[in-house]
Amino acid sequence: MSKVHKKGPTSPAMNMTPMIDVVFQLLVFFMLVNNIISEEAVQMIVPDLENPKTRELGEENRITVNVAPQSYDPVRQIGDLNIPGEAATVKVGLEVFELDDMEGVTEALKDAKSRNENIEVLLRADSGLFYDEVQPIMQAITSAGIVKVNLVAYLPENKR
Amino acid sequence: MPATPPTLDTADNLDMLEGDEQVVHHVSQQEKRRKQRDTGGDAMQLNLTSMIDVVFQLLIYFVVTASFTIGEGVITAKLPSGPGTPQQSKQPPERPLEIILNTGGDIGTEYRVSIKGLAGQPRSFTELSDTLIQLQYDPQRGLNGAYKPDNPVIIKPDVSVRWQHVVNAFNAAVRARYSNVSFAQAGAEEQ
Repeated sequence: MSKVHKKGPTSPAMNMTPMIDVVFQLLVFFMLVNNIISEEAVQMIVPDLENPKTRELGEENRITVNVAPQSYDPVRQIGDLNIPGEAATVKVGLEVFELDDMEGVTEALKDAKSRNENIEVLLRADSGLFYDEVQPIMQAITSAGIVKVNLVAYLPENKR
Repeated sequence: MPATPPTLDTADNLDMLEGDEQVVHHVSQQEKRRKQRDTGGDAMQLNLTSMIDVVFQLLIYFVVTASFTIGEGVITAKLPSGPGTPQQSKQPPERPLEIILNTGGDIGTEYRVSIKGLAGQPRSFTELSDTLIQLQYDPQRGLNGAYKPDNPVIIKPDVSVRWQHVVNAFNAAVRARYSNVSFAQAGAEEQ
């Protein structure tokens, strides 16, 4: 009896160690995931196609040209094109350019091409942008001596 | 040894009680020692509560700010040839197939797609793809259209056609297995 009584006060203390282990794992996971995503991609809704023929592209030898919309609306649904169709900025890799600085875009891409001859350019533009906003950027890419570009759209399995 | 209630005070019981106490004393000593060995003693225990508080705060912050992107893929395209660009081919070998995109209805939200010089015009991009397949010449697939798969296809969007429709038209042409699809300059159709 006295044995049980003596042990009593210590037994309700929780063993925190496994929980702390799990929590730290989660913490590290979310920290890393956050950094990976925010590195190159600007938040936007890319085109959502009818019967898409899109394919996945490897992580290597590529540079992304983002054409950012005026503002990213987090509640906007896929397929909603009802936004102001003007672009805001162009982001080549990690560099941000203004819309009137197409020479800068061309230079950045020439740089990237001189560093890596096999580089593939991904053109990632918001689905709601007008064509005449995207077309000068396509032309800037051409001026850098790049003939082919990869247009970014959603993969088939993500269709809603 | 059976536990005896300590209310009895006969000599025998007193004896037994003393023996019992000794045993209890002995056990508690042992236990104390074991506890000290296991946990390093009460005074040495870490207070983890404040650290867990902070860690949870961080965890919640990262969970809330994490945004997962939806899987994106690519379709490879040829760029519009503007001034000062490297000329790839001297002249298009065949008459190009021209897909014209216009805005219709509400500004920017609707589209009108047409193939230049064709009677029945497609109403959607799925139909556009089907029409393009019918126009194709590919004996292996039993197609007897007028255009070879490597015939140039040019997409001519109007100025304020949304990018989604442009890529959709491009996707339709690629899905119809045309290999030479390119873009025209914005509003090239009006000139």
